[in-house]
Amino acid sequence: MNSKIAKFSFPLVLISLLGILAYFLNWELLLSLDFSVVWEYRLVLFKGLMMTLGLTLWASVMGLLLGTILAVASQSPVAAIRWLVIAFVEIWRNTPLLVQLIWIHYALPLVTGINTTAVESGVLAITLQAAAYFTEIVRAGIESVPKGQWEAAYSLALPSRITWTRIILPPAVRTMIPPLVNLTISFFKGTAILSILHISELMTVTNRISNVTFKPIELFSAIAIVYFIVGYVMSKATLRVEYILQRRER
Amino acid sequence: MMRFEFDQIIRYGPELLEAFWVTLWISAVSLLIGIVLGLFACLGKLSRQGLAYRVSSGFIDFFRTIPEVVLIFWVYSCLPLLLSVRITSEVCGIIALSLFSGAYLAEIFRAGVLAVPRGQVDAAYALAIPRLNIWSRIIIPPAIRRMMPASINFLTELLKATSLLSAISVGEMAYRASVLGAKTLSYFEFLSAIAVLYFLLIFPFSLWARRAEKKLLEKTGN
Repeated sequence: MNSKIAKFSFPLVLISLLGILAYFLNWELLLSLDFSVVWEYRLVLFKGLMMTLGLTLWASVMGLLLGTILAVASQSPVAAIRWLVIAFVEIWRNTPLLVQLIWIHYALPLVTGINTTAVESGVLAITLQAAAYFTEIVRAGIESVPKGQWEAAYSLALPSRITWTRIILPPAVRTMIPPLVNLTISFFKGTAILSILHISELMTVTNRISNVTFKPIELFSAIAIVYFIVGYVMSKATLRVEYILQRRER
Repeated sequence: MMRFEFDQIIRYGPELLEAFWVTLWISAVSLLIGIVLGLFACLGKLSRQGLAYRVSSGFIDFFRTIPEVVLIFWVYSCLPLLLSVRITSEVCGIIALSLFSGAYLAEIFRAGVLAVPRGQVDAAYALAIPRLNIWSRIIIPPAIRRMMPASINFLTELLKATSLLSAISVGEMAYRASVLGAKTLSYFEFLSAIAVLYFLLIFPFSLWARRAEKKLLEKTGN
């Protein structure tokens, strides 16, 4: 009896919500929407999307590179190095990207005397943040390698470079792949934040076109869908990779 | 070499503090609305079939995948036109962040509920415990314990996301610091001050989340 109520209550709630929405909607405006503007500016938007994807790729690759170096450094026997890495990671992980961005763009040049362009500041901020996040993941991956492996490598008197490249990193990388892909997706979303410095990625481009054409609804809705499709494909691909990795382990 | 003008921060301290409160209350309101939305979406997705499932998973996937900035701009520049009403930028920000929180929290809640061992629920059914009591006594208490670390982590994400509202000129910390920086030309002082404030606000939650996770691992042993 209960389930019958549940079965009918949801569509009722949905229909009434949609009804309320329909009542308040400005139908005149809705019917006059003209999505041809999106098609008209497709090349510029596509360029913006490429910039977004390029930044994502850059953040992931550089982040992974720096993150691996920092993660290895975080296992250093020197306490000062360990503390420096921890401080770097915690500072960049516990402040908003937007604040880092405006800090690097507006505040840092006052100290260093070096003026950075918007693109340079944006790339620098997202790279450093990526490095911090990737360090955490690589470190967790390294620490997931059983202690016995370290001891075995040590007792075989393997040099530390070979211990890292042959013993520790390969299994660590395997456990790291799913969180790494997830991070890449979150940096894909993060690139939109760089639009506050007007570096010409998808969000900035859309803002500019919208300022010229006065068609914010069409443009923002369209790019929301573009972002959704790209992000959705990426996250489905992650699930696929996870599935393949799990099967291989069996 | 520049001088760090600390007295600027002290002079405009009250304004920064006010901005700090704006950040806090916007996060709190968005979190509360997000929890409600998240609960509904979570229940919908747990139903595994039918219209409720499809609507909730669509909601969750969509608002988890699009960038927060895009969502904020969409709400700010499209919603008032579509509904032909005036909405203040604070309310726009709250709407956007609530949708964002609702989608993320729904997944966190769902993971918590699904992590409750199936055997316990089966045992409750076998004992003919009423359905409502199964939820309130068997599923929800351990589920809450399991979802705590992820929820606290999400709270740190939400606090960071409030800084994005500066793009639609909500007077929270990042916005106020940029304005004060432009006014007094002491960018370095104000931006550093809010960076420190954000860190002091967010870092304790990160530590709390980590501790909760550790405790949970010890308790459940997996």
